[in-house]
Amino acid sequence: MIAAAVLLAVFVAIPLRSRGYLLQLGTDTLSAVTLAYGWNLIGGFAGYFSFGQVSFYGLGAYATALLVLRAHMPWYFAALVSGLVGAAAALLLGRIMLRLRGILFALGMLGLARILEVIFNNWHYAGASVGLSLPAVLTPVAVYVGMGLLALISFCITAYFVYSGFGLDVMSLNEDEDAALSVGVPTTRVKVIAFILSGALPAVAGGLTAWNHSYIDPTSAFDPGVDLLTVVYVMFGGIGTLWGPLIGAVVLMIVGEEFLVYFPNLELALYGIVVIATVLAFPGGLVGLANRFGWLMRPIILAPKGLPAGAPPERAPAHGTQPVLEVRDLTVRFGGLTAVDRVSLSVARGETVCIIGANGAGKTTFFNAITGVVQPTSGEILYFGQPISHLPTFRRAQRGMARSFQIPRLMPSFTVWENVLLASRHGRQSHRVVEHTAWVLHTMGFAGMWRDPVSRLTPGFQRQLEFARVLALSPELVMLDEVMAGMTREEQEQVRGVIRRLPEFGIAGVACVEHVIAAVADLCDRMVVLDFGRKIAEGPSAEVLKDPVVVRAYLGEPI
Amino acid sequence: MLALQILVNGLLLGGLYVLIAQSLNLIFGVMGVVNLAHGAFIVVAGLFTYWFASSTGINPLAALPFVFIVMALVGAGLQPLLVEPLMKMGRSKAELLSLMVTFGLDYVLVELALQVWGSSFVSVPYLQSSWKFAGLDFSQALVVSGVFAALVSALLYWWLNRTDSGKSLLAASQSETGAICCGIDVKRVRMLAFALGVALAAAAGVLVIIVEALAPQTADDLTLLAFVIIALGGLGSYVGVAVAALLLGVAQSVTGYFVGGNAEYVLPYVLLILVMVALPGRFRRA
Amino acid sequence: MSEVDPRGSADAVPALVVENVTTRIGPLTILDGLSLELRAGEVVTVLGANGAGKTTLLRTIAGLYPPRQGHIRLFGESIEGRPAHEITRAGIGHVPSGRELFPRLSVADHLELGGRLSPPARRAELRARMLAMFPVLGRRLGQRAGTLSGGEQQMLAIARALMTDPRVLLLDEPSTGLAPKIVLSVFQTFPMLREQGVSILLAEQSLTLGLTAADRAYVVDQGRIVLSGAAAQLAEDHRVVDTYLGR
Repeated sequence: MIAAAVLLAVFVAIPLRSRGYLLQLGTDTLSAVTLAYGWNLIGGFAGYFSFGQVSFYGLGAYATALLVLRAHMPWYFAALVSGLVGAAAALLLGRIMLRLRGILFALGMLGLARILEVIFNNWHYAGASVGLSLPAVLTPVAVYVGMGLLALISFCITAYFVYSGFGLDVMSLNEDEDAALSVGVPTTRVKVIAFILSGALPAVAGGLTAWNHSYIDPTSAFDPGVDLLTVVYVMFGGIGTLWGPLIGAVVLMIVGEEFLVYFPNLELALYGIVVIATVLAFPGGLVGLANRFGWLMRPIILAPKGLPAGAPPERAPAHGTQPVLEVRDLTVRFGGLTAVDRVSLSVARGETVCIIGANGAGKTTFFNAITGVVQPTSGEILYFGQPISHLPTFRRAQRGMARSFQIPRLMPSFTVWENVLLASRHGRQSHRVVEHTAWVLHTMGFAGMWRDPVSRLTPGFQRQLEFARVLALSPELVMLDEVMAGMTREEQEQVRGVIRRLPEFGIAGVACVEHVIAAVADLCDRMVVLDFGRKIAEGPSAEVLKDPVVVRAYLGEPI
Repeated sequence: MLALQILVNGLLLGGLYVLIAQSLNLIFGVMGVVNLAHGAFIVVAGLFTYWFASSTGINPLAALPFVFIVMALVGAGLQPLLVEPLMKMGRSKAELLSLMVTFGLDYVLVELALQVWGSSFVSVPYLQSSWKFAGLDFSQALVVSGVFAALVSALLYWWLNRTDSGKSLLAASQSETGAICCGIDVKRVRMLAFALGVALAAAAGVLVIIVEALAPQTADDLTLLAFVIIALGGLGSYVGVAVAALLLGVAQSVTGYFVGGNAEYVLPYVLLILVMVALPGRFRRA
Repeated sequence: MSEVDPRGSADAVPALVVENVTTRIGPLTILDGLSLELRAGEVVTVLGANGAGKTTLLRTIAGLYPPRQGHIRLFGESIEGRPAHEITRAGIGHVPSGRELFPRLSVADHLELGGRLSPPARRAELRARMLAMFPVLGRRLGQRAGTLSGGEQQMLAIARALMTDPRVLLLDEPSTGLAPKIVLSVFQTFPMLREQGVSILLAEQSLTLGLTAADRAYVVDQGRIVLSGAAAQLAEDHRVVDTYLGR
């Protein structure tokens, strides 16, 4: 509150005190704040570093200029439309560029900015390399106020990311994108939306800046130095935080004005050093340092004051009488290698089926094909009688196919509450997220530690939390990938207890892959044995484990 | 005959590109790091050569060994300071953060270069006439620098495939665990790769400025050019990258002749986007 | 575990001692206070179903995973916590699972890289010995490792490890993806290695294969040793089969 009042007072005081230098500094700072917040949405929250967000800034500047000069739009309308242009460009590019991860996305964006620069250098309608001069229809104060509003909007969007479930979806991309898919997060849509917002903000800022400078040309509109500065503000202030971009931009702008006059022309070099030092010495930036003292912590998303009692899930209507899962003649080939060779499997209602086999038998590949992580070469997968082979992983999760991972893949910097909430949002109880999340946490014994970060949990509880996340989807089919490996005896007993209780939670079928046969033999109704991609045995576990074919597959061929 | 001239010019240009790209590839192959300051190293070396040749009047090629050694030392000093600390953080995190760090380094180098040499484009006035052969013109500067670049690249291949330390480097880039099983100190190999990558980029800079004018602000274009080539040739693959570099040289020579204008400069970026859209699988490590 | 006296036969220092070693990967405890011993000149097999911790054990000994606690001694010299390449230099040869060859380097290159730390005379001697032991590699010297058959690749991985002139050789599931006949031909080289003073620790899932080659064996389950003894004795022991099948 106090911070907001101080910021507002400073914002109002600047144009009252000065119409010159200070006003310009204020406008530039607000522009920097907007760019930093824009970059932070995709680079900070989603974890997709972009070295080409300046593309949107330049596109916005040109859109505004052309709309006013050639289409004679009023400036405020042009500013809005240029925001839409930025958003549209981001939508279009996002679908292509966001398929790439890591370095490739970053470099692709850098390349994109250069392509745009070349295009505008040669586009005569837009003034080619000479650029465009803009008539002075806007007073500096109007630009300042406009930029202030824009900075406020970008702050509000960021606040929405930090306080809402959608923000949690975006942050889950940065944590573990594959795990996010497995709990039903529609990752592509989420990151494209984040990218659109991240493109629209600099586009409007670019438009307003064009008016402020009353002149634009391709070199300054698509200057990669703008991206460097933006990255510096975000990194220095604190990447992926609500206050970081604001603090970083304001501090560095003021320090820059006071300090950099002694180093004319070395501004960017010094900022380069700031980025390097931040990444190597304090990767969380200023906000990260404040966090160490418990200040400026990110709030736990959608967390009530105390953990509510919660309520058991409402029963969804039953899916008829078909088996939960039916796999027919599934084959998966990688190049010349047949990893899974015409394997069929069914899981009836109320059944627990365990898949065992030696190393390289194709168990995990089989599992991945069912959850949609790998595409089967041939064969059919029916879920309650419906073919699902065409559905992406996240849709299968949303329909109630939940899985765990060999090594628990939780969202490492989320709290216990947020890990479960993320899955609840996309599962079959998504209309009553908070009650359901609370219920799952109570049931799984997390009531005493629901606000704890994941890093503070013991290995046993991390496994337990993954189960909680599975239950949060309110699934009908649960697929467990080697949940016993690396667990102590006591932890295994804990896990066995959970598996026994699964029917209570409305789960119709369980399929598991397991190495530690002793820990599951008595839990499963049926065992399926794979060897070199083929099914070699199937039946009640006691019988299967006596089958000489199975014994040979496990112990090795006699010589 | 004209076709021959275009082809030869393209191959000579491609020879330069081999060196530009291979030095980036070397670092990427061993560390999985794309060095965004790559172009800055090329430019700094080129502009130094310009200053050296124009103020002393000595043949610019004489700067090559000196630049190579100094920049190798610079690389060997920077790697443990800036990049190695990130290697502990796990592959994907290290890739992204090293991008951030080298992005910062890029600006430090470019700004310093602007301070020292200013922002205007300069080139070394060296071998400005051309050789006439069968009625065709071959720029002497391009021939000399293309041939030199090919020689340096050949030397690199020889070193990689014939010497103990070169093979250790190849081994570490193909299987880190395998290299450790041979008793290779992978940490030292990473430093060696970075030092050599920077030194070779610098050598490329010396040769580029003989042919083309450079200014500090062209650094990013050179980085992107190198990246496009290694993306086309297959990340981490030496032969693939050499072929891609030569093909790009020829393609630019052809578009430069038939389309003209800026087409040849846009070509790499168009290829980059095309490759990204059409062949995302190309971007996995070979 | 009465068969294993931690002091071994009084006259010799054991080649390799693993003492109460715990290794974790992420949140999972893969080795849980595991101890074993390899005497000089012995071939010892570590048996266990997949996921039991065999590969992690070998990788921990080779220094690729740092142990959380416990000690590893090579001929009495403590090696835990050292960088992996120094452990190789100290005399531990590792044939890792998945072989980890250099797909675009030739067979000759692999031998050379393995022998790079030995003086030239010793290197030549080792190389000649490898070519005698694996004649098929001699016929493929110029060929890239990626184009070899599975059996040839396995032999190359072993040859590369032996080129480092190790005192202890760690072999991680050499039978993976190979026909039993080929595995046997690999195992037939063990007596030769023993004569050269190399002690062997073999991790093997296949019970029959693992026991054929070894003097002694340990059975690992969930990161701990559950059984141990002379190979011949364990072959008769039904508890081994029960461990495998969780009975």
